[in-house]
Amino acid sequence: MMNPSYKKKISKGLMVFGRVLILLFFLIIVVAPIYWLFITSLKLPKDIATLDLQYWPKNPTLDNYVALWKSTQFPAYLKNSLLVSVISGVIVVIVSIGGGYALARYRFRMKKITLIGFLVSQMIPITLILVPVFLIFSRLGLNDTLTSLVVLYVILNTPFCVITMQSFFMNIPTSIEEAATIDGCGRMDVLIRIVLPVMLPGIIAVFIFAFIGAWNDLLTGVMLINTEAKKTIPVGLSAYVGQFSIDWGEMTAGGMLALIPSAILFAIAQKFIVEGLTAGAVKG
Amino acid sequence: MKKKNLEPHAFMLPSYILLFGFMGYPLINCIRLAFTNYKIMKPDEVYFAGLNNFKGILSDPDLLMILGNSVKFVVITVFLQFVLGLILALTLKKPFRFRGVYQGIVFLPWAFSGFIIGLTFQWLFNGEYGPINDLLLKAHLITEKISFTGTPGLSLFTVIAALTWAGIPFFAIMILAALQSIPNELYEAAKIDGGNALDMFKHVTIPCIKPTIVITILLRTIWVFNNADLIYVMTRGGPANTSHTLSSYMFMKAYSTLDFGQASALGVLFMFVLVLYVLIFLKITRFNEAGDVG
Repeated sequence: MMNPSYKKKISKGLMVFGRVLILLFFLIIVVAPIYWLFITSLKLPKDIATLDLQYWPKNPTLDNYVALWKSTQFPAYLKNSLLVSVISGVIVVIVSIGGGYALARYRFRMKKITLIGFLVSQMIPITLILVPVFLIFSRLGLNDTLTSLVVLYVILNTPFCVITMQSFFMNIPTSIEEAATIDGCGRMDVLIRIVLPVMLPGIIAVFIFAFIGAWNDLLTGVMLINTEAKKTIPVGLSAYVGQFSIDWGEMTAGGMLALIPSAILFAIAQKFIVEGLTAGAVKG
Repeated sequence: MKKKNLEPHAFMLPSYILLFGFMGYPLINCIRLAFTNYKIMKPDEVYFAGLNNFKGILSDPDLLMILGNSVKFVVITVFLQFVLGLILALTLKKPFRFRGVYQGIVFLPWAFSGFIIGLTFQWLFNGEYGPINDLLLKAHLITEKISFTGTPGLSLFTVIAALTWAGIPFFAIMILAALQSIPNELYEAAKIDGGNALDMFKHVTIPCIKPTIVITILLRTIWVFNNADLIYVMTRGGPANTSHTLSSYMFMKAYSTLDFGQASALGVLFMFVLVLYVLIFLKITRFNEAGDVG
Protein backbone atom coordinates (compact mmCIF):
# COMPACT_ATOMS: atom_id res chain seq x y z
CA MET A 1 0.00 0.00 0.00
CA MET A 2 2.66 2.43 1.11
CA ASN A 3 4.89 4.17 -1.37
CA PRO A 4 8.37 2.65 -0.98
CA SER A 5 10.23 5.97 -0.98
CA TYR A 6 7.78 7.24 1.60
CA LYS A 7 8.44 4.19 3.73
CA LYS A 8 12.15 4.79 3.44
CA LYS A 9 11.70 8.35 4.58
CA ILE A 10 9.77 7.24 7.65
CA SER A 11 12.37 4.68 8.65
CA LYS A 12 15.11 7.26 8.16
CA GLY A 13 13.15 9.70 10.30
CA LEU A 14 12.78 7.06 13.00
CA MET A 15 16.53 6.41 12.90
CA VAL A 16 17.30 10.09 13.41
CA PHE A 17 14.74 10.29 16.20
CA GLY A 18 16.26 7.25 17.91
CA ARG A 19 19.72 8.72 17.61
CA VAL A 20 18.64 12.01 19.14
CA LEU A 21 16.97 10.13 22.00
CA ILE A 22 20.15 8.16 22.74
CA LEU A 23 22.30 11.31 22.62
CA LEU A 24 19.90 13.05 24.98
CA PHE A 25 19.91 10.06 27.32
CA PHE A 26 23.69 10.15 27.69
CA LEU A 27 23.73 13.92 28.03
CA ILE A 28 21.23 13.77 30.91
CA ILE A 29 23.05 10.88 32.58
CA VAL A 30 26.33 12.80 32.54
CA VAL A 31 25.04 16.28 33.32
CA ALA A 32 22.42 15.49 36.00
CA PRO A 33 24.89 14.41 38.76
CA ILE A 34 27.18 17.37 38.02
CA TYR A 35 24.17 19.69 38.06
CA TRP A 36 23.07 18.32 41.44
CA LEU A 37 26.59 18.80 42.83
CA PHE A 38 26.63 22.37 41.52
CA ILE A 39 23.23 23.52 42.77
CA THR A 40 23.82 21.98 46.18
CA SER A 41 26.94 24.11 46.50
CA LEU A 42 24.75 27.20 45.94
CA LYS A 43 22.11 26.33 48.56
CA LEU A 44 21.72 27.55 52.13
CA PRO A 45 21.93 24.79 54.75
CA LYS A 46 18.18 25.00 55.38
CA ASP A 47 17.52 24.51 51.67
CA ILE A 48 19.77 21.45 51.59
CA ALA A 49 18.38 19.64 54.61
CA THR A 50 14.77 19.83 53.56
CA LEU A 51 12.38 17.08 52.57
CA ASP A 52 10.93 19.36 49.93
CA LEU A 53 13.85 18.98 47.53
CA GLN A 54 14.74 21.99 45.44
CA TYR A 55 15.78 21.10 41.94
CA TRP A 56 16.43 24.76 41.43
CA PRO A 57 18.02 26.68 44.35
CA LYS A 58 15.48 29.09 45.84
CA ASN A 59 18.07 31.30 47.52
CA PRO A 60 21.27 30.90 45.50
CA THR A 61 24.31 31.99 47.51
CA LEU A 62 28.08 31.69 47.55
CA ASP A 63 28.12 31.29 51.35
CA ASN A 64 29.35 27.70 51.12
CA TYR A 65 32.39 28.73 49.13
CA VAL A 66 33.21 31.48 51.60
CA ALA A 67 32.71 29.16 54.57
CA LEU A 68 34.86 26.48 52.97
CA TRP A 69 37.63 28.98 52.40
CA LYS A 70 37.48 30.34 55.97
CA SER A 71 36.55 27.41 58.21
CA THR A 72 38.65 24.63 56.67
CA GLN A 73 42.24 24.52 55.53
CA PHE A 74 41.04 24.64 51.95
CA PRO A 75 43.52 27.35 50.88
CA ALA A 76 46.37 25.11 52.06
CA TYR A 77 44.85 22.06 50.35
CA LEU A 78 44.56 24.02 47.12
CA LYS A 79 48.15 25.25 47.29
CA ASN A 80 49.42 21.70 47.98
CA SER A 81 47.36 20.19 45.19
CA LEU A 82 48.64 22.76 42.70
CA LEU A 83 52.21 22.34 43.87
CA VAL A 84 52.40 18.54 43.64
CA SER A 85 50.42 18.37 40.40
CA VAL A 86 52.51 20.97 38.57
CA ILE A 87 55.88 19.68 39.78
CA SER A 88 55.10 16.02 39.14
CA GLY A 89 53.61 16.95 35.76
CA VAL A 90 56.81 18.74 34.72
CA ILE A 91 59.01 15.83 35.84
CA VAL A 92 56.79 13.32 34.03
CA VAL A 93 57.10 15.38 30.85
CA ILE A 94 60.92 15.41 31.07
CA VAL A 95 61.16 11.69 31.83
CA SER A 96 58.72 10.73 29.11
CA ILE A 97 60.41 12.89 26.49
CA GLY A 98 63.58 10.87 27.13
CA GLY A 99 61.80 7.54 27.29
CA GLY A 100 59.44 8.21 24.41
CA TYR A 101 62.30 9.41 22.19
CA ALA A 102 64.43 6.37 22.92
CA LEU A 103 61.56 3.97 22.32
CA ALA A 104 60.55 5.65 19.08
CA ARG A 105 63.98 6.21 17.53
CA TYR A 106 66.31 3.44 18.68
CA ARG A 107 66.39 -0.31 18.57
CA PHE A 108 67.91 -1.78 21.70
CA ARG A 109 67.85 -4.96 23.67
CA MET A 110 65.79 -3.87 26.67
CA LYS A 111 63.09 -2.29 24.52
CA LYS A 112 60.58 -5.10 24.52
CA ILE A 113 61.00 -5.85 28.22
CA THR A 114 60.60 -2.18 29.07
CA LEU A 115 57.40 -1.93 27.04
CA ILE A 116 56.00 -5.02 28.72
CA GLY A 117 57.08 -3.61 32.08
CA PHE A 118 55.18 -0.40 31.37
CA LEU A 119 52.10 -2.32 30.34
CA VAL A 120 52.23 -4.54 33.42
CA SER A 121 52.72 -1.50 35.65
CA GLN A 122 49.38 -0.21 34.35
CA MET A 123 47.76 -3.26 35.88
CA ILE A 124 49.33 -3.05 39.32
CA PRO A 125 46.99 -1.40 41.79
CA ILE A 126 48.35 1.42 43.89
CA THR A 127 47.04 -0.39 46.96
CA LEU A 128 49.49 -3.22 46.28
CA ILE A 129 52.64 -1.12 46.35
CA LEU A 130 51.50 1.35 49.00
CA VAL A 131 52.78 -0.65 51.98
CA PRO A 132 56.31 -1.28 50.64
CA VAL A 133 56.48 2.29 49.35
CA PHE A 134 55.36 3.58 52.74
CA LEU A 135 58.23 1.66 54.35
CA ILE A 136 60.77 2.92 51.79
CA PHE A 137 59.65 6.50 52.37
CA SER A 138 59.76 6.14 56.13
CA ARG A 139 63.36 4.88 55.86
CA LEU A 140 64.20 7.91 53.70
CA GLY A 141 62.42 10.18 56.16
CA LEU A 142 60.00 11.28 53.44
CA ASN A 143 56.71 10.21 55.00
CA ASP A 144 54.24 12.98 55.55
CA THR A 145 55.97 15.26 53.04
CA LEU A 146 54.79 16.66 49.75
CA THR A 147 58.01 15.30 48.19
CA SER A 148 56.77 11.74 48.77
CA LEU A 149 53.59 12.56 46.85
CA VAL A 150 55.54 14.09 43.97
CA VAL A 151 57.76 11.00 43.74
CA LEU A 152 54.77 8.65 43.73
CA TYR A 153 52.78 10.65 41.22
CA VAL A 154 55.75 10.67 38.86
CA ILE A 155 56.00 6.89 39.19
CA LEU A 156 52.30 6.29 38.70
CA ASN A 157 51.91 8.54 35.67
CA THR A 158 55.18 7.93 33.82
CA PRO A 159 54.47 4.57 32.11
CA PHE A 160 51.37 5.73 30.29
CA CYS A 161 52.98 9.06 29.39
CA VAL A 162 56.13 7.43 27.98
CA ILE A 163 54.02 5.20 25.73
CA THR A 164 51.89 8.16 24.64
CA MET A 165 54.99 10.27 23.99
CA GLN A 166 56.50 7.44 21.96
CA SER A 167 53.49 7.43 19.65
CA PHE A 168 53.72 11.22 19.24
CA PHE A 169 57.42 10.90 18.33
CA MET A 170 56.63 8.18 15.81
CA ASN A 171 54.23 10.52 14.03
CA ILE A 172 57.11 12.91 13.30
CA PRO A 173 59.08 12.02 10.19
CA THR A 174 62.76 11.28 10.87
CA SER A 175 63.72 13.27 7.77
CA ILE A 176 63.65 16.57 9.73
CA GLU A 177 66.16 15.22 12.18
CA GLU A 178 68.36 13.75 9.47
CA ALA A 179 68.51 17.07 7.65
CA ALA A 180 69.56 18.87 10.81
CA THR A 181 72.14 16.22 11.66
CA ILE A 182 73.74 16.68 8.24
CA ASP A 183 73.93 20.39 8.98
CA GLY A 184 76.17 19.49 11.88
CA CYS A 185 73.83 19.58 14.85
CA GLY A 186 74.36 17.06 17.62
CA ARG A 187 71.59 14.67 18.59
CA MET A 188 70.67 16.66 21.71
CA ASP A 189 70.65 19.88 19.69
CA VAL A 190 68.31 18.35 17.15
CA LEU A 191 66.02 17.06 19.86
CA ILE A 192 65.77 20.34 21.74
CA ARG A 193 65.77 22.82 18.86
CA ILE A 194 63.91 20.96 16.16
CA VAL A 195 61.90 18.01 17.41
CA LEU A 196 60.46 19.38 20.66
CA PRO A 197 58.91 22.53 19.17
CA VAL A 198 57.03 20.36 16.67
CA MET A 199 55.94 18.11 19.52
CA LEU A 200 54.44 20.91 21.60
CA PRO A 201 50.81 19.71 21.40
CA GLY A 202 51.91 16.23 22.50
CA ILE A 203 53.97 17.65 25.34
CA ILE A 204 51.02 19.72 26.56
CA ALA A 205 48.76 16.66 26.40
CA VAL A 206 51.21 14.58 28.43
CA PHE A 207 51.57 17.34 31.00
CA ILE A 208 47.81 17.65 31.34
CA PHE A 209 47.42 13.91 31.66
CA ALA A 210 50.02 13.76 34.43
CA PHE A 211 48.58 16.84 36.11
CA ILE A 212 45.07 15.38 36.21
CA GLY A 213 46.44 12.05 37.47
CA ALA A 214 48.15 13.76 40.40
CA TRP A 215 45.32 16.22 41.00
CA ASN A 216 42.78 13.39 41.28
CA ASP A 217 44.76 11.02 43.49
CA LEU A 218 43.21 10.14 46.81
CA LEU A 219 44.50 6.95 48.43
CA THR A 220 48.23 7.66 48.11
CA GLY A 221 47.70 10.93 49.89
CA VAL A 222 45.47 9.36 52.54
CA MET A 223 48.16 6.78 53.28
CA LEU A 224 51.21 9.06 53.24
CA ILE A 225 50.03 12.42 54.60
CA ASN A 226 48.93 13.02 58.19
CA THR A 227 49.54 16.70 58.78
CA GLU A 228 46.47 18.77 58.03
CA ALA A 229 48.48 21.59 56.42
CA LYS A 230 50.14 19.18 53.96
CA LYS A 231 46.97 17.55 52.63
CA THR A 232 45.80 17.89 49.05
CA ILE A 233 42.17 18.75 48.22
CA PRO A 234 40.78 15.20 47.89
CA VAL A 235 42.68 13.99 50.96
CA GLY A 236 41.66 16.95 53.09
CA LEU A 237 38.00 16.95 52.08
CA SER A 238 37.47 13.19 52.13
CA ALA A 239 38.16 13.21 55.85
CA TYR A 240 34.98 15.26 56.27
CA VAL A 241 32.92 12.99 54.05
CA GLY A 242 33.48 10.01 56.32
CA GLN A 243 31.95 11.81 59.28
CA PHE A 244 28.34 11.41 60.36
CA SER A 245 27.31 15.01 59.97
CA ILE A 246 28.61 16.08 56.62
CA ASP A 247 28.29 19.71 55.68
CA TRP A 248 27.01 19.00 52.18
CA GLY A 249 27.06 22.66 51.19
CA GLU A 250 30.76 23.08 51.94
CA MET A 251 31.68 19.66 50.58
CA THR A 252 29.94 20.19 47.26
CA ALA A 253 31.55 23.64 47.04
CA GLY A 254 34.93 21.96 47.57
CA GLY A 255 34.03 19.35 44.97
CA MET A 256 33.15 22.03 42.43
CA LEU A 257 36.42 23.89 43.05
CA ALA A 258 38.40 20.65 42.72
CA LEU A 259 36.56 19.92 39.51
CA ILE A 260 37.28 23.18 37.71
CA PRO A 261 41.01 22.78 36.89
CA SER A 262 40.71 19.22 35.63
CA ALA A 263 37.57 20.01 33.63
CA ILE A 264 39.19 23.02 31.95
CA LEU A 265 42.41 21.15 31.20
CA PHE A 266 40.43 18.21 29.89
CA ALA A 267 38.45 20.48 27.59
CA ILE A 268 41.69 21.95 26.23
CA ALA A 269 43.40 18.65 25.68
CA GLN A 270 40.41 16.41 25.01
CA LYS A 271 41.41 15.74 21.44
CA PHE A 272 45.02 14.86 22.32
CA ILE A 273 44.08 12.82 25.36
CA VAL A 274 41.64 10.81 23.27
CA GLU A 275 44.42 10.21 20.74
CA GLY A 276 46.86 9.37 23.51
CA LEU A 277 44.46 6.96 25.20
CA THR A 278 43.92 5.20 21.93
CA ALA A 279 47.60 5.08 21.04
CA GLY A 280 48.71 4.14 24.53
CA ALA A 281 46.32 1.28 24.99
CA VAL A 282 46.20 -0.14 21.50
CA LYS A 283 49.75 0.16 20.23
CA GLY A 284 51.37 -0.35 23.62
CA MET B 1 79.97 2.10 18.15
CA LYS B 2 79.95 1.49 21.86
CA LYS B 3 78.67 4.99 22.52
CA LYS B 4 75.74 4.56 20.19
CA ASN B 5 74.55 1.50 22.06
CA LEU B 6 74.50 3.38 25.32
CA GLU B 7 72.61 6.38 24.02
CA PRO B 8 69.08 4.97 24.20
CA HIS B 9 69.76 3.72 27.71
CA ALA B 10 70.84 7.19 28.78
CA PHE B 11 67.49 8.52 27.57
CA MET B 12 65.69 5.66 29.26
CA LEU B 13 67.57 5.82 32.55
CA PRO B 14 64.93 7.74 34.53
CA SER B 15 62.23 5.41 33.24
CA TYR B 16 64.30 2.36 34.25
CA ILE B 17 64.85 3.72 37.74
CA LEU B 18 61.16 4.45 38.19
CA LEU B 19 60.02 1.17 36.75
CA PHE B 20 62.33 -1.16 38.61
CA GLY B 21 63.02 0.89 41.72
CA PHE B 22 59.48 1.84 42.54
CA MET B 23 57.43 -0.85 40.84
CA GLY B 24 59.61 -3.95 40.73
CA TYR B 25 61.24 -3.58 44.12
CA PRO B 26 58.00 -2.84 46.03
CA LEU B 27 56.32 -5.82 44.40
CA ILE B 28 59.07 -8.16 45.52
CA ASN B 29 59.01 -6.51 48.90
CA CYS B 30 55.27 -7.05 49.12
CA ILE B 31 55.85 -10.80 48.74
CA ARG B 32 58.57 -10.73 51.42
CA LEU B 33 56.34 -8.75 53.80
CA ALA B 34 53.58 -11.30 53.35
CA PHE B 35 55.77 -13.78 55.21
CA THR B 36 56.74 -11.28 57.90
CA ASN B 37 55.08 -10.30 61.13
CA TYR B 38 54.95 -6.54 60.63
CA LYS B 39 52.61 -4.34 62.57
CA ILE B 40 53.61 -0.71 62.29
CA MET B 41 52.57 -0.04 65.88
CA LYS B 42 54.96 -2.71 67.14
CA PRO B 43 58.22 -1.98 65.31
CA ASP B 44 60.24 -4.20 67.69
CA GLU B 45 58.32 -7.33 66.82
CA VAL B 46 59.29 -7.74 63.19
CA TYR B 47 60.17 -11.34 62.42
CA PHE B 48 59.71 -14.08 59.82
CA ALA B 49 56.23 -15.44 60.33
CA GLY B 50 56.03 -18.28 57.82
CA LEU B 51 52.47 -18.75 56.65
CA ASN B 52 50.89 -17.03 59.65
CA ASN B 53 49.64 -14.04 57.68
CA PHE B 54 48.05 -16.31 55.10
CA LYS B 55 46.42 -18.38 57.84
CA GLY B 56 45.19 -15.11 59.28
CA ILE B 57 43.51 -13.91 56.11
CA LEU B 58 42.12 -17.34 55.16
CA SER B 59 40.48 -17.71 58.57
CA ASP B 60 38.89 -14.28 58.14
CA PRO B 61 35.13 -15.01 58.03
CA ASP B 62 34.59 -12.09 55.63
CA LEU B 63 37.12 -13.16 53.00
CA LEU B 64 34.75 -15.27 50.89
CA MET B 65 32.12 -12.56 50.90
CA ILE B 66 34.76 -10.00 49.87
CA LEU B 67 35.99 -12.20 47.01
CA GLY B 68 32.38 -12.65 45.92
CA ASN B 69 31.88 -8.89 46.10
CA SER B 70 34.94 -8.39 43.90
CA VAL B 71 33.50 -10.68 41.24
CA LYS B 72 30.07 -9.04 41.42
CA PHE B 73 31.61 -5.57 41.38
CA VAL B 74 33.86 -6.26 38.38
CA VAL B 75 31.39 -8.24 36.24
CA ILE B 76 28.43 -5.89 36.62
CA THR B 77 30.46 -2.68 36.32
CA VAL B 78 32.48 -3.72 33.28
CA PHE B 79 29.41 -5.18 31.55
CA LEU B 80 27.41 -1.96 32.00
CA GLN B 81 30.35 0.25 31.05
CA PHE B 82 30.93 -1.79 27.92
CA VAL B 83 27.32 -1.93 26.72
CA LEU B 84 26.66 1.77 27.37
CA GLY B 85 30.06 2.79 25.98
CA LEU B 86 29.43 0.77 22.81
CA ILE B 87 26.00 2.35 22.30
CA LEU B 88 27.45 5.82 22.83
CA ALA B 89 30.33 5.19 20.42
CA LEU B 90 28.01 3.82 17.70
CA THR B 91 25.75 6.86 18.07
CA LEU B 92 28.73 9.24 17.85
CA LYS B 93 30.21 7.59 14.77
CA LYS B 94 28.39 9.70 12.17
CA PRO B 95 29.26 13.41 12.39
CA PHE B 96 26.56 15.86 13.42
CA ARG B 97 26.53 19.52 14.28
CA PHE B 98 28.15 20.27 17.66
CA ARG B 99 29.55 16.74 17.90
CA GLY B 100 32.83 18.15 19.25
CA VAL B 101 31.07 20.04 22.02
CA TYR B 102 28.84 17.07 22.80
CA GLN B 103 31.88 14.77 23.12
CA GLY B 104 33.61 17.31 25.33
CA ILE B 105 30.68 17.18 27.76
CA VAL B 106 29.88 13.48 27.63
CA PHE B 107 33.52 12.41 28.04
CA LEU B 108 34.00 14.74 31.00
CA PRO B 109 33.54 12.12 33.77
CA TRP B 110 36.82 10.63 32.60
CA ALA B 111 38.64 13.61 34.15
CA PHE B 112 36.79 13.36 37.48
CA SER B 113 38.55 12.17 40.61
CA GLY B 114 37.32 9.28 42.71
CA PHE B 115 36.72 11.78 45.47
CA ILE B 116 34.33 13.92 43.43
CA ILE B 117 32.53 10.95 41.88
CA GLY B 118 32.14 9.35 45.30
CA LEU B 119 30.96 12.57 46.91
CA THR B 120 28.43 13.22 44.15
CA PHE B 121 26.94 9.74 44.14
CA GLN B 122 26.86 9.45 47.90
CA TRP B 123 24.86 12.65 47.89
CA LEU B 124 22.59 11.47 45.03
CA PHE B 125 21.88 8.24 46.93
CA ASN B 126 21.53 10.00 50.29
CA GLY B 127 18.88 8.30 52.42
CA GLU B 128 17.17 11.50 53.59
CA TYR B 129 17.75 14.35 51.18
CA GLY B 130 18.96 12.51 48.08
CA PRO B 131 17.19 13.15 44.78
CA ILE B 132 17.14 9.46 43.82
CA ASN B 133 14.96 8.64 46.81
CA ASP B 134 12.86 11.71 46.11
CA LEU B 135 12.30 10.84 42.45
CA LEU B 136 11.53 7.20 43.22
CA LEU B 137 8.97 8.33 45.80
CA LYS B 138 7.39 10.80 43.41
CA ALA B 139 7.17 8.11 40.75
CA HIS B 140 5.49 5.86 43.34
CA LEU B 141 8.09 3.17 42.79
CA ILE B 142 8.89 3.04 46.51
CA THR B 143 6.72 3.85 49.51
CA GLU B 144 9.44 4.94 51.90
CA LYS B 145 12.97 6.19 51.55
CA ILE B 146 15.78 3.70 51.22
CA SER B 147 19.10 4.04 53.00
CA PHE B 148 21.12 2.96 49.97
CA THR B 149 24.60 3.25 51.47
CA GLY B 150 23.49 1.93 54.87
CA THR B 151 21.88 -1.31 53.73
CA PRO B 152 24.01 -4.45 53.36
CA GLY B 153 23.85 -5.66 49.79
CA LEU B 154 22.68 -2.29 48.46
CA SER B 155 25.70 -0.19 49.35
CA LEU B 156 27.93 -2.05 46.90
CA PHE B 157 25.48 -1.17 44.12
CA THR B 158 25.78 2.55 44.81
CA VAL B 159 29.50 2.20 44.15
CA ILE B 160 28.81 0.14 41.01
CA ALA B 161 26.49 2.89 39.74
CA ALA B 162 29.14 5.54 40.36
CA LEU B 163 31.95 3.60 38.73
CA THR B 164 29.79 2.70 35.72
CA TRP B 165 29.03 6.38 35.26
CA ALA B 166 32.70 7.28 35.44
CA GLY B 167 33.84 4.49 33.10
CA ILE B 168 31.49 4.90 30.13
CA PRO B 169 33.66 7.60 28.47
CA PHE B 170 36.77 5.42 28.37
CA PHE B 171 34.95 2.61 26.57
CA ALA B 172 33.24 5.07 24.24
CA ILE B 173 36.53 6.82 23.39
CA MET B 174 38.33 3.56 22.65
CA ILE B 175 35.52 2.04 20.58
CA LEU B 176 34.88 5.30 18.73
CA ALA B 177 38.52 5.48 17.69
CA ALA B 178 38.34 1.91 16.43
CA LEU B 179 35.09 2.59 14.56
CA GLN B 180 36.57 5.61 12.83
CA SER B 181 39.52 3.59 11.60
CA ILE B 182 37.32 1.10 9.72
CA PRO B 183 37.80 1.81 6.00
CA ASN B 184 34.60 2.85 4.25
CA GLU B 185 35.28 0.46 1.36
CA LEU B 186 34.39 -2.47 3.61
CA TYR B 187 30.87 -1.09 4.11
CA GLU B 188 30.52 -0.30 0.41
CA ALA B 189 31.57 -3.83 -0.51
CA ALA B 190 29.02 -5.25 1.93
CA LYS B 191 26.34 -3.03 0.42
CA ILE B 192 27.13 -4.25 -3.10
CA ASP B 193 26.82 -7.81 -1.82
CA GLY B 194 23.29 -6.91 -0.74
CA GLY B 195 23.91 -6.78 2.99
CA ASN B 196 21.52 -4.85 5.22
CA ALA B 197 22.45 -2.75 8.25
CA LEU B 198 22.43 -5.72 10.61
CA ASP B 199 24.66 -7.80 8.28
CA MET B 200 27.13 -4.94 8.09
CA PHE B 201 27.19 -4.60 11.86
CA LYS B 202 27.74 -8.33 12.33
CA HIS B 203 30.24 -8.94 9.55
CA VAL B 204 32.10 -5.64 9.24
CA THR B 205 31.80 -3.55 12.38
CA ILE B 206 32.13 -6.24 15.05
CA PRO B 207 35.13 -8.08 13.54
CA CYS B 208 36.95 -4.79 12.96
CA ILE B 209 36.55 -3.49 16.49
CA LYS B 210 37.00 -6.86 18.19
CA PRO B 211 40.71 -6.39 19.03
CA THR B 212 39.99 -3.01 20.61
CA ILE B 213 37.06 -4.40 22.57
CA VAL B 214 39.16 -7.28 23.84
CA ILE B 215 42.05 -5.12 25.06
CA THR B 216 39.71 -2.49 26.52
CA ILE B 217 37.73 -5.05 28.48
CA LEU B 218 40.99 -6.58 29.71
CA LEU B 219 42.33 -3.23 30.93
CA ARG B 220 39.02 -2.05 32.35
CA THR B 221 38.43 -5.27 34.27
CA ILE B 222 41.80 -4.88 35.92
CA TRP B 223 41.22 -1.20 36.70
CA VAL B 224 37.80 -1.87 38.18
CA PHE B 225 39.22 -4.78 40.18
CA ASN B 226 41.98 -2.46 41.43
CA ASN B 227 39.63 0.39 42.28
CA ALA B 228 39.52 1.23 45.96
CA ASP B 229 39.05 4.98 46.24
CA LEU B 230 35.35 5.08 45.38
CA ILE B 231 34.58 2.49 48.04
CA TYR B 232 36.76 4.42 50.48
CA VAL B 233 34.84 7.67 49.87
CA MET B 234 31.32 6.26 49.55
CA THR B 235 30.98 3.42 52.06
CA ARG B 236 34.37 2.71 53.67
CA GLY B 237 33.40 -0.92 53.00
CA GLY B 238 30.37 -0.69 55.23
CA PRO B 239 28.01 -1.62 56.59
CA ALA B 240 29.97 -4.43 58.28
CA ASN B 241 32.41 -5.03 55.38
CA THR B 242 29.54 -5.90 53.00
CA SER B 243 30.70 -3.45 50.35
CA HIS B 244 34.41 -4.24 50.49
CA THR B 245 36.22 -5.67 47.50
CA LEU B 246 39.63 -7.29 47.71
CA SER B 247 41.29 -4.03 46.72
CA SER B 248 39.52 -1.75 49.19
CA TYR B 249 39.84 -4.36 51.94
CA MET B 250 43.58 -4.53 51.35
CA PHE B 251 43.82 -0.75 51.60
CA MET B 252 41.80 -0.62 54.79
CA LYS B 253 43.93 -3.43 56.28
CA ALA B 254 47.06 -1.40 55.63
CA TYR B 255 45.57 1.97 56.47
CA SER B 256 43.42 1.38 59.52
CA THR B 257 44.68 -1.79 61.21
CA LEU B 258 48.27 -1.03 60.17
CA ASP B 259 48.94 -4.76 59.95
CA PHE B 260 51.36 -4.58 57.02
CA GLY B 261 52.05 -8.33 57.08
CA GLN B 262 48.42 -9.33 56.54
CA ALA B 263 47.87 -6.48 54.08
CA SER B 264 50.77 -7.83 52.04
CA ALA B 265 49.44 -11.38 52.25
CA LEU B 266 46.20 -10.03 50.79
CA GLY B 267 48.38 -8.36 48.17
CA VAL B 268 49.92 -11.69 47.19
CA LEU B 269 46.44 -13.21 46.93
CA PHE B 270 45.53 -10.19 44.82
CA MET B 271 48.45 -10.72 42.44
CA PHE B 272 47.53 -14.37 42.13
CA VAL B 273 43.93 -13.55 41.14
CA LEU B 274 45.17 -10.90 38.69
CA VAL B 275 47.62 -13.19 36.91
CA LEU B 276 45.07 -16.01 36.81
CA TYR B 277 42.51 -13.68 35.28
CA VAL B 278 44.88 -12.36 32.61
CA LEU B 279 45.90 -15.90 31.60
CA ILE B 280 42.31 -17.15 31.40
CA PHE B 281 41.19 -14.04 29.55
CA LEU B 282 43.92 -14.32 26.94
CA LYS B 283 43.13 -18.01 26.50
CA ILE B 284 39.38 -17.54 26.12
CA THR B 285 39.56 -14.62 23.72
CA ARG B 286 42.47 -16.20 21.85
CA PHE B 287 43.92 -12.75 21.88
CA ASN B 288 46.97 -13.58 19.77
CA GLU B 289 44.67 -14.50 16.93
CA ALA B 290 42.36 -11.54 17.48
CA GLY B 291 45.07 -9.28 16.11
CA ASP B 292 44.71 -10.85 12.65
CA VAL B 293 41.15 -9.64 12.17
CA GLY B 294 40.58 -6.45 10.18
